[in-house]
Amino acid sequence: MSTFKNNNEFGSRLMNHGLRTICLVSSLVALNLAGCDFHAPQFHLNMVQMLSDATPTPKPYQEQIADVLDGMFGTPDEPFALPETGLDIRKLKMSAGPAWTDKKGAAFGLYRQHCVHCHGIDGDGQGPTALFLNPYPRDYRQGVYKFKSTYNPAKPTDEDLQRVLINGIPGSAMPSFSLLASAEIESLVEYVKYLSFRGQMETALTNYVYNDLGEEEITDEIGEPVLDDEGEPVTKLIPLDPENDEEQRTAITEMLAEIVEGWNEANEQIIVPEEDAIPTDVENLKALAASAAKGRELFYGTRANCMKCHGPTGLGDGQQDDFDIWNKAHKQFLDSVADGSGEPQLATEREEVAASLYPIRNAIPRNLRNGIYRGGNRRIDLFWRIYAGIAGSPMPGSGPASPGAQGTLTEEEMWNIVDYVLSLPYEDASRPQRALPINTELVN
Amino acid sequence: MVKQLTHVRTNKLNRYTCALLLTGLMLVGCRRVTDLGPVANPSAAAKAREALLGDTSGGEGSAEVVTGTGWATLKGTFIFDGAPPEMPPYNVNKDTAACTIHGKAPLQETLLVDSATKGIANVAIFVRKASRVHESAQATNEQVLFDQKECVFLSHVFPFVLGNTMDIKNSDPVGHNTNIDGKNSFNQTIPVGETIAFKPQKEEAVPVSVRCSIHPWMSAYFLPRENGYVAVTSEDGSFEIEYLPAGEDLEFQVWHESAGGPGSSLVLTTPEAKELKWSSKGRFKVKLAEDEVKELNLTVPSDAFGL
Repeated sequence: MSTFKNNNEFGSRLMNHGLRTICLVSSLVALNLAGCDFHAPQFHLNMVQMLSDATPTPKPYQEQIADVLDGMFGTPDEPFALPETGLDIRKLKMSAGPAWTDKKGAAFGLYRQHCVHCHGIDGDGQGPTALFLNPYPRDYRQGVYKFKSTYNPAKPTDEDLQRVLINGIPGSAMPSFSLLASAEIESLVEYVKYLSFRGQMETALTNYVYNDLGEEEITDEIGEPVLDDEGEPVTKLIPLDPENDEEQRTAITEMLAEIVEGWNEANEQIIVPEEDAIPTDVENLKALAASAAKGRELFYGTRANCMKCHGPTGLGDGQQDDFDIWNKAHKQFLDSVADGSGEPQLATEREEVAASLYPIRNAIPRNLRNGIYRGGNRRIDLFWRIYAGIAGSPMPGSGPASPGAQGTLTEEEMWNIVDYVLSLPYEDASRPQRALPINTELVN
Repeated sequence: MVKQLTHVRTNKLNRYTCALLLTGLMLVGCRRVTDLGPVANPSAAAKAREALLGDTSGGEGSAEVVTGTGWATLKGTFIFDGAPPEMPPYNVNKDTAACTIHGKAPLQETLLVDSATKGIANVAIFVRKASRVHESAQATNEQVLFDQKECVFLSHVFPFVLGNTMDIKNSDPVGHNTNIDGKNSFNQTIPVGETIAFKPQKEEAVPVSVRCSIHPWMSAYFLPRENGYVAVTSEDGSFEIEYLPAGEDLEFQVWHESAGGPGSSLVLTTPEAKELKWSSKGRFKVKLAEDEVKELNLTVPSDAFGL
């Protein structure tokens, strides 16, 4: 009996062992087949742009654009930057590649350690966690940033990006990275800029290919067009080939120069408030209250018009139907896929890309009664938001659109609004103030 | 015995779970859905890099472009062929007192066809590149009015020559913000009765959208160009571009907001368009003789608008 029992145990153990091996082997085979990327991650193209209604890009061009971008910017593991970009390759290499630490404790692969799970390897804001976040993580590829010290269309300065990294973005999933060494923060800022340069270059190349290359009629030796059986001229795609085409090389160099110039100009585009326009001594409560009262009048009046979007009670419940530029681009793409317009040859691919996009969200104006300010809670932060608006979002600016241009409000008036907005969370919430009559009668 | 049997059974269960998970993984894989489209080919990329690292300056010695002398005119009409669509009213859901006329919302302007002439309004037609620009087509440092009333932009398609200044006006009793898309990216509040000057700097290849975030139904299009070789058809569908450089291949782009081509380019396949080798991007080329006045009367079938 006991021998039998032992035998049985032995047999079952043997079977166990066998099955375990099968399990292990099949798991390895399965993983290999499924292509769980053990190999180095690669940059992918912005397929919404490639397959958009405005710039339908045939497959050969997609491949050529990927090649040129790789030539100009390298890969996620081996970043590269042409000298004219001014990007610091050593800083980039600290953030690129897999995360590891050398013997001295210096960290590498910072982007993949800290950022990639939300912002994605391409910086497209579609990392694995992005779907669960509201707001969605920023897509860097347009080179548009919200929380900055510069005029609306200008790029952010390095300090602006550093501030966001150090403070995080209150009210969003973006945490503070203030525990990182300053060299690491600088390296990450450089890498984020690099991803923006790359994304902007991709857009420029896509537009260039659509606008200036494309199909060309094939001609025979005497310059006559070659015709097919139906008498239609035969065409071929002019390849994107900077290696052999000097004109294209020059065009690409110019496109890059324009992108780099935009970033280099940022420091000249900083909004510096005039000293004498700052009306309030914040220590003087009476003056502060008077300034806030003026700000309130502007907030609800028809000149500043804040109330139209932020709502008659400042809860952010006014106009909520608009979109930011990132959601708008996806919405336009989804709409055009839904109504079946666009290149028929790209239809299947377009549907595949449409299915991969996250749900579209409206741009909801900020609830100003929470006292949470995404771009920072200093008076200057709020001043910049009111002055320049928020790039990429529907929030308009009230100051001049560029240095020397005509503003809507004076700087003093904008400081008044700052003071009112900062006082809004402390207004009695159960008896919110009503809008001024001047604007209420027009709200139905 | 009994104890052992359960033990074996749990093991079996574990194995099944393991197998199930693996099959699942095999089927699903762990690729992200956004990993679509091609990736770079390293050898092609290396060649592109080498080329771009090389000296690209001094590449001016390309073939000389033929530039003629004198000037010419292109004019014509776009005539709708088919039953003109009826325009629905704008979806006015805010500020109805100010944004309606006698309680009625204004009609949309996505495709305006003149009932008498069947002419199509708001078709933009412009030269993509010109080697010479006549002084009458250059910017004159003018202030050009861009107005809004009853929550409608009064210039639905607004051609603009860079160098001029845009006077963005609000003729309504409610506040607006004017949000211009594209390379010039402008978004500023325009208070009641006031005018804000804006100087765009960059050219666009096709018209870009202009919106108001406060009244999201408001919609117009803005087309800044480096020269004045741009026209937008009037109510009767007619246009005229004067002082075009004669003696060179001029490529025109034709655009209408509701047209079915890529980026709303107007693609025509009619015999008269075929003669002009009208492309699938809504472009055609003509070479005009000195002092020539070329007239193009184009019929636009309703299917060019996907109708």
